[in-house]
Order: sequence, then structure tokens, then C-alpha cells
Amino acid sequence: MKLEVCENKRIAKNTFSLKIDNPALFDASPGQFFMVKINDFDYPLLRRPFSIADFSDRYIEIIYKVVGEGTKILAGKQKGDFLDLLGPLGNGFGDIKKGKKIFLVGGGIGAAPLIYLSNTLKSMYGISYEAYFGFNTKDEIYVDFGKTATMDGSSGYAGNVVDMIESQLDENCLVLACGPTLMLKRLAYVCYQKKCSMKVSLESRMACGIGVCLGCVVETTDKDFKRVCVEGPVFDYREIEWQAL
Amino acid sequence: MASSVNLTVKLGSLIFKNPVLTASGTFGYASEYKNYMDLNALGGFVVKGLSVNPKKGNKPPRIVETPCGMLNAIGLQNVGVDKFIKEKLPLLEDVDAHIIANIYGTKAEEFIKLAERLEGVGRVSALEVNVSCPNVSKGGALFGKNPNEVVKLASSVKKHTSKPVIVKLTPNVDDIAVIAKAACDGGADAVSLINTITGMVIDTKTKKPFLANKTGGLSGPAVYPVGVRMVYEVYEKIKVPIIGVGGIYNSDVALQYLMAGAALIEIGTANFTKPDVTIEIIKGIKEFLKVENIKSVGDIVGIAHSV
Ligand SMILES: Cc1cc2nc3c(=O)[nH]c(=O)nc-3n(C[C@H](O)[C@H](O)[C@H](O)COP(=O)(O)OP(=O)(O)OC[C@H]3O[C@@H](n4cnc5c(N)ncnc54)[C@H](O)[C@@H]3O)c2cc1C
Ligand SMILES: Cc1cc2nc3c(=O)[nH]c(=O)nc-3n(C[C@H](O)[C@H](O)[C@H](O)COP(=O)(O)O)c2cc1C
Ligand code: FES
Repeated sequence: MKLEVCENKRIAKNTFSLKIDNPALFDASPGQFFMVKINDFDYPLLRRPFSIADFSDRYIEIIYKVVGEGTKILAGKQKGDFLDLLGPLGNGFGDIKKGKKIFLVGGGIGAAPLIYLSNTLKSMYGISYEAYFGFNTKDEIYVDFGKTATMDGSSGYAGNVVDMIESQLDENCLVLACGPTLMLKRLAYVCYQKKCSMKVSLESRMACGIGVCLGCVVETTDKDFKRVCVEGPVFDYREIEWQAL
Repeated sequence: MASSVNLTVKLGSLIFKNPVLTASGTFGYASEYKNYMDLNALGGFVVKGLSVNPKKGNKPPRIVETPCGMLNAIGLQNVGVDKFIKEKLPLLEDVDAHIIANIYGTKAEEFIKLAERLEGVGRVSALEVNVSCPNVSKGGALFGKNPNEVVKLASSVKKHTSKPVIVKLTPNVDDIAVIAKAACDGGADAVSLINTITGMVIDTKTKKPFLANKTGGLSGPAVYPVGVRMVYEVYEKIKVPIIGVGGIYNSDVALQYLMAGAALIEIGTANFTKPDVTIEIIKGIKEFLKVENIKSVGDIVGIAHSV
């Protein structure tokens, strides 16, 4: 489906917010993603997966980091351009039950889907939560809520976001996380030790986004493979074979 | 201008409403595409490669993008033939298009078992035999590289099915026409080509091959000239219909395959980029024939050889 770009602006170092006209034809839940075609022609060939950073009556927002060819071209899109989106796809964070203490934990560009999640938790469920975000440096920060950690200590807690929250986690907590694989791996280790629950959004190379190519799989603890695009991208962390990542 | 054009194609006893099929491994078990297009519009589809038992496939990463293409090393992950028949086929009951089962094994006996298992399954119109897989009894060399093995495999599958047998050829050989002839000698009713071209991408950050399997198969627009050339070469050497595959992403490339000698075509990787690309391609072929005042799609098959 071709949708109009309403805004595409830089919001932090190498980081852009893309607002796309919402045709109000479908609903989308936090953690779901779109496969975005970068150009009208076939270069770059494959669609790029991006999480939903916000979803309102007017806009679908994607927050993305320029990391390669596709995202570089995306950064050049302007108001009035059209983008071809496929989605919303995948399983998001799902129903969040009351009762547990909720922690949103994001690393880098992985904080993006947690913005929509936080808005939903607040407005739809009236659930309170704490949010923690880790970045490398101060100029990468694009979230305006929660507590932040920076690796270089230029803002907030100095160091890793997992270290920042570790002491607060116990079996009464539910962590909702997204971020770089290494961070998630550490977080999973901590959650195992503290017996706390966690739902985690994973990344994987995708070709189709709709479950047919079997390219995006992750190894699961039952010695099987699951598709990140259909069974994920959000998984219960106990399902994932973290050693294999 | 002709008022209507005839897009139908015959392959043995089968009639296809148009020459456009989807390629194995790129269209799942077809029902996944129901939300994106009208499956009835297609000539047919080739489902994901089936083995006797379910197969897990390779460890990730399994895919990597390349300029106008991609490498994949899925490792033929599939639900196995029994689950396909029980769980996947019923989802297609109401679909009016040919379903072709792509089968593969590591021993001739496995191919025979698959043919036998599918024999009573009326909904499956034909078998496509993937010979791009390692033959364990020959030290793992691909069946599809050895003409003698291809003759044997084609004839043993043929003996165990009444359905048309299509042999799908690998391009990773010296002379694909020799292999195509071998398939015909074995009794194949058609050949399809090409499967993916073996390649490798190295991640310069880790200094290792990017894919867990190290090598993968190249597909997508980048490979189409190779496929067109091979179809052209094979057309001159064999009598049975050819199914052209490889990099087809629009109707122009589809027409090139037909003109090179393909009677039917399969669309693969392009389905990922544009889930309804097949519809566009069918339209484009029809439009071309109308404008050129050509009555039947069969009239352009192999036409590039006569000039
Ligand atoms: C479910 C999901 C949600 C995502 N959400 C976001 C988001 O909200 N914001 C954001 O900035 N990024 C997100 N990503 C990562 C994003 O898809 C990649 O950064 C992007 O595809 C890079 O494209 P490129 O052409 O710039 O990079 P290149 O490196 O040039 O891309 C080459 C190929 O690799 C793939 N690729 C490269 N990096 C990644 C990656 N990290 N994950 C998956 N595929 C990759 C590309 O899709 C492309 O096919 C998400 C990934 C997934 C799987
Ligand atoms: C992800 C993927 C999976 C594939 N799986 C199979 C398979 O199971 N059996 C088979 O015969 N070919 C398989 N192929 C090969 C395609 O059917 C086709 O021959 C090839 O991709 C070239 O066509 P294309 O460039 O249009 O994709 C696969 C290709 C891709 C990209
Ligand atoms: S991206 Fe194709 S199956 Fe997930």
C-alpha cells in the first residue's frame, strides 16, 4: 500500500522520525512492524523492516537510524513522497496483564517500538511502568521520557542500561525490551538469574516479512526454528536459544 | 488490435490459464499470499520443496542481500510431505490454479517415496523434481551435476507417478543443455531452469562468510540474463516444454524468457518485494500481445531463435 510521507526529520545523531499518513484502514499493536519499500524501482531490492514507533489517527511513525544504503535513501524522502508499506506484520508485545511491575528497557534504535508501547500502556490499559533507555552518547538520545544511560557518561547513568536496572529486577517484574542483540543477551541472562519475566523484540534479516522465505528464523529452546516475522518479532525470552545468537 | 489474446498453455495433459507460476521456496504453501492477491489469477504455483520427513533447515543467518539480488541458504526447511497433505493442501481447496509439488531427497528412494505419497493426491497437478541437492550415495555431489544420475532419477520418479514430471535444473554445471537432455531421456515431461547460482558474501567486520552455511544461492533480478541464456541454449536441444525461472521481476523479463523458449515461467524472489507482482506480470504479457497483435502467447515462445 502506497502512503504519503507527512514528515521526515532528523531527531538525533543519524536518527530520523518518519511520519506517514495513516489511511485508518487497519489497527496496529505495539511491537508490530512494517516492511518498507525504499524506492519505486528494485534497488535496493528487499523491503526494510521497521517497528512502529507511534500510531495515531493521523500518522504512522517510524524512527530509524541511518546504518546503510537503504536507510540513507530513506533519509532523503520528503513530505509529499509516497512510500510502499506492507503491514502491520508480526506478533507484538500482546496483552500486558496488570499485577507485575513493568520495565520498558530499550537500547539505541531499539527504544523506538517502546515509545508506542508506552503510549498504549498508558492510554489503553492505564498501566504504570518504568522506562530505561541506553545510548552510546548524549547526542543519540531521541526519547523524552524515562531514565537514560549513556556508555560515555555524557547523560544520565554512566554505562550499560542493563547494569543500570539489574538491582531492581526480581520475580515480580515484567521486562519489555528491544535493542542490540548483545544487550538483549545480557538482559536475558540477568532475567534468568532473577527469575523475572521478559518479552523481547528481536531483529533478523528478512526477505519477505510474511512467513514464506524462512530466511528470518531464530533458534528456539525446543531445538526448532521460529520465524521472527510471523511468530515474532516479540518472543517470550525463555523461548529463545540465546547461546545461538 | 486483437480483441482478446489467448494466454493458455498446455503441458502434457494439463492446461494452465496463463504461463505465470510462482517458484518453489518463495511462495510458501501459497495460502500465505491470500491476503495480498487473488490466487485464482495465477496459472499455478510451485510449493516449498517437500521431503519425506520434516526438515529443520540451516542455522541462521540464512539470507543476505546483494546488489539487485540475494543469497539464501535456507537448507530446505519444510513441514514434510505428510503434514503438507494434511494441513497445507486443505487451505487451497477453493483455489482454481494448478498446485505443483516440488520434491527433493538425498537418495533416489526418497524421491520415489515422495512420488508415491503424492500419487493419490488429486489436488497436486504435477511434480517438480529438485535435483539441486546432494546425493548421499555419491559422496554428496549434487544429483543435478551428473547426467547419468539425472536420467536415473527422472525415470525412477516417472515410474512411480502418473502426474507430469518436471525436472528443475541447477545452473551450477558446465553445460546445462546436457543435463536437460538427460532429464528428457529419463522421461521428464518438462524441465524448469534455473535454480539459484551458488555464491558467497564475506562479512568484512567478522572476516567470515556471512551465511552460517557459508555459501548460498543467488536469486533475484541480478540473475535473469543467466537464466535467459540457459533457457535459450536448452531450447535448441530438447523437445519438451521449458519452464523459465530466475530473476523475473516484471513483464519485460518474463517476455524475454518466453522468447528464449520458455512455455511457462516461475516468479521467485520478486514475490518478496511485491507480493502481487505476478498479477502485474500477467497483465503486462497480455498488454504486450495485444499491442503486437499476437493472438496466442504460444506464438512468441522461442521466437528469439528465428531472427
Ligand atoms: C522486526 C524489525 C524491526 C526493526 N525496527 C527498526 C526500527 O524501528 N528502526 C530502525 O532504525 N531499524 C529497525 N530495524 C532494523 C532495520 O531493518 C535495519 O537497520 C535496516 O534494514 C537497514 O537497512 P539499510 O539498507 O540501511 O542497511 P544495509 O546494511 O545496507 O542493509 C543490507 C541488508 O541487510 C538488512 N539489515 C541490515 N541491518 C539489519 C538489521 N539490524 N536488522 C534486520 N535487517 C538488517 C537490510 O534490511 C538489507 O536487506 C528493525 C529490524 C527488524 C527485523
Ligand atoms: C528463499 C528461497 C528459497 C528457495 N527454496 C527452493 C526450494 O525449496 N526448492 C527449489 O527447487 N528451489 C528453491 N528456490 C529457488 C527458486 O525456486 C528459484 O529457482 C530461484 O530463486 C531463481 O528465481 P528468482 O530469481 O525469481 O527467485 C528458493 C529460492 C529462494 C530465494
Ligand atoms: S522474512 Fe521471510 S519468513 Fe520471515
